[in-house]
Amino acid sequence: MAEQQQVVSDLRRLATQIRLSATRMVAIQGFGYLGQALSSAEIFAVLFGGVVRPGRDRFVLAPGHYVIALYAAAAAVGLLDPTELESYGKDGALLEAIGTERTPLVDLVCGSLGQGLSGAIGFALAAHFAGGDRDTYAFVSDGEMQEGQTWEAAMFAAHNRHRMGRLVVVVDVNNSQVDGPVTSVLAMEPLADKWRSFGWRVLEVDGHDVDALSRALASRSTDSEPLVVIARTEIFGRMKSIPASADGHFIKLDPTLELALISELEAALA
Amino acid sequence: MHKPPYQITLKPYGQALLELARRRPEIICLGADLTRQTETDIFRDAIPERFINVGMAEANMMGIAGGLARARHIVFVNTFGVFCTRRCFDQVAMSIAYPKLNVKIVGFMPGLSSPGGPSHQAVDDVALMRALPNMTVVEPADAVEVRQAVAAIADRPGPVYMRLKRGETPIIFDESHRLELNKAQVLTGNDHSEVCIIAGGMMIPAALAGAQVLESHGVSAVVLNVPVIKPLDAATIVGAARHSRIVITAENHNIIGGLGSAVAEALAEAGSAVPLRRVGIADVFGESGSREFLFQRYGLSTQNILDVAWRGLGLGGPSPVAPVVESVPGAYAPV
Repeated sequence: MAEQQQVVSDLRRLATQIRLSATRMVAIQGFGYLGQALSSAEIFAVLFGGVVRPGRDRFVLAPGHYVIALYAAAAAVGLLDPTELESYGKDGALLEAIGTERTPLVDLVCGSLGQGLSGAIGFALAAHFAGGDRDTYAFVSDGEMQEGQTWEAAMFAAHNRHRMGRLVVVVDVNNSQVDGPVTSVLAMEPLADKWRSFGWRVLEVDGHDVDALSRALASRSTDSEPLVVIARTEIFGRMKSIPASADGHFIKLDPTLELALISELEAALA
Repeated sequence: MHKPPYQITLKPYGQALLELARRRPEIICLGADLTRQTETDIFRDAIPERFINVGMAEANMMGIAGGLARARHIVFVNTFGVFCTRRCFDQVAMSIAYPKLNVKIVGFMPGLSSPGGPSHQAVDDVALMRALPNMTVVEPADAVEVRQAVAAIADRPGPVYMRLKRGETPIIFDESHRLELNKAQVLTGNDHSEVCIIAGGMMIPAALAGAQVLESHGVSAVVLNVPVIKPLDAATIVGAARHSRIVITAENHNIIGGLGSAVAEALAEAGSAVPLRRVGIADVFGESGSREFLFQRYGLSTQNILDVAWRGLGLGGPSPVAPVVESVPGAYAPV
């Protein structure tokens, strides 16, 4: 029990570190995809804090704008030199603001949204053909599920469930897209019912609760339907420093906001 | 080469793919609810574990193909040409072409070969695929080339688009004919011919028939077969056209963006001043109808090649009349 509490505590710290690194990366230019990292910090902490086995499992980052969270997580767990983070988004840098074929640490990242799940299914099929225990994890965001290809892929995976047992999808439902809240642009609820009706096993959790996320991912079974974890999050990751009026998709980080946010995060780490 | 009407064969692609897949366990065959129509029913029946029908969902199919190819499979993706190019262009671009993956996209019913009207007639597929970096674009002319093309494109690293006639496939070439992915070939004539006809795919029979008529009227003609539109064998094309008085491209495709455009680019960049005429679909969508009807109505016939050549050379009087090759059952005649 004490051990489990320590794991949860470590994952929370990891999530805070992800937010702190992401804030510093965005602060260099004063704007960027910070909201994505703030909303998904716990998801990346759990995935890269012990779930995804580097070199064995495959990781698909469907929305390339979230790559900032991946960089921050990878640096925090020793998969990436932390000094590399300083180059994020700069001309010619390896760490581009939207993932590309050059992006390290991922098996597939898609800048054009809605395509990641199909690629993940390709990986899962290949793993099935090859045998063995290689898992495929796909991170998907809620806005991109407006692209119809998502549902083509969801349908396919359920129909081919005997070959999809090692596919796990996590959806960051932060209710944010370019033009505003997803609920105002093109509502997609009830999301859990949609996935369930497409033949998936669905678990819905608080996406800022590392314990709930860990339990959901651990509950997967390779001999049932593919699993989708719907992680309910907030675009600003419950950070008190960020005013509700900020643009969640592409945050402008002025020096005052930057200082307040860094202070808040450093206090959480203390 | 054989003479028209050409003998026909069925499913040369499907048979070649099955034979190759038996030797190459890394090959996966994907389809989108057009299994018999894309000749892959024989693959499905023989190797069901490596055949995947994704249903009517081409965008998803391209993404799955990309994932499989990243895991070192060679993936053949099969559907009609319109559906694997127009319908899912971004997916082909981002999930296959950009990452240079080993996906071979096979699109059936090129140009006006389908009676199904504009929704089923791929008049712009070559233009679309040619514009994608890393993409090779192949169009075999007959069953002999189709069989060789399957193995050739599997061996070529990276993405390939191959457009194929559906159904009865003519046998134009002898078995000794060799398709090479980096070569255009002179079929008849020589590099001192007055007329240089550059064609590919379903226009080869008309190009050959047109050249023969011109020769019989005292006009020398060379026919170049271009099975690979990208990368284009510019050297052979420029060489064949060097002493010509006119170059005529013949394509079962919109004259914008296909073989005619590719040849125009090659000639212009080589500094060639030879006049160029493009025989093809004149930037319009088609309609329903038989191949014979549509090829005549939209300017893809032997007569169209003759008219363009005659006028282009400034020869007086009416142009020679193309012979009518009797269309006998079980054989393939040029229009």
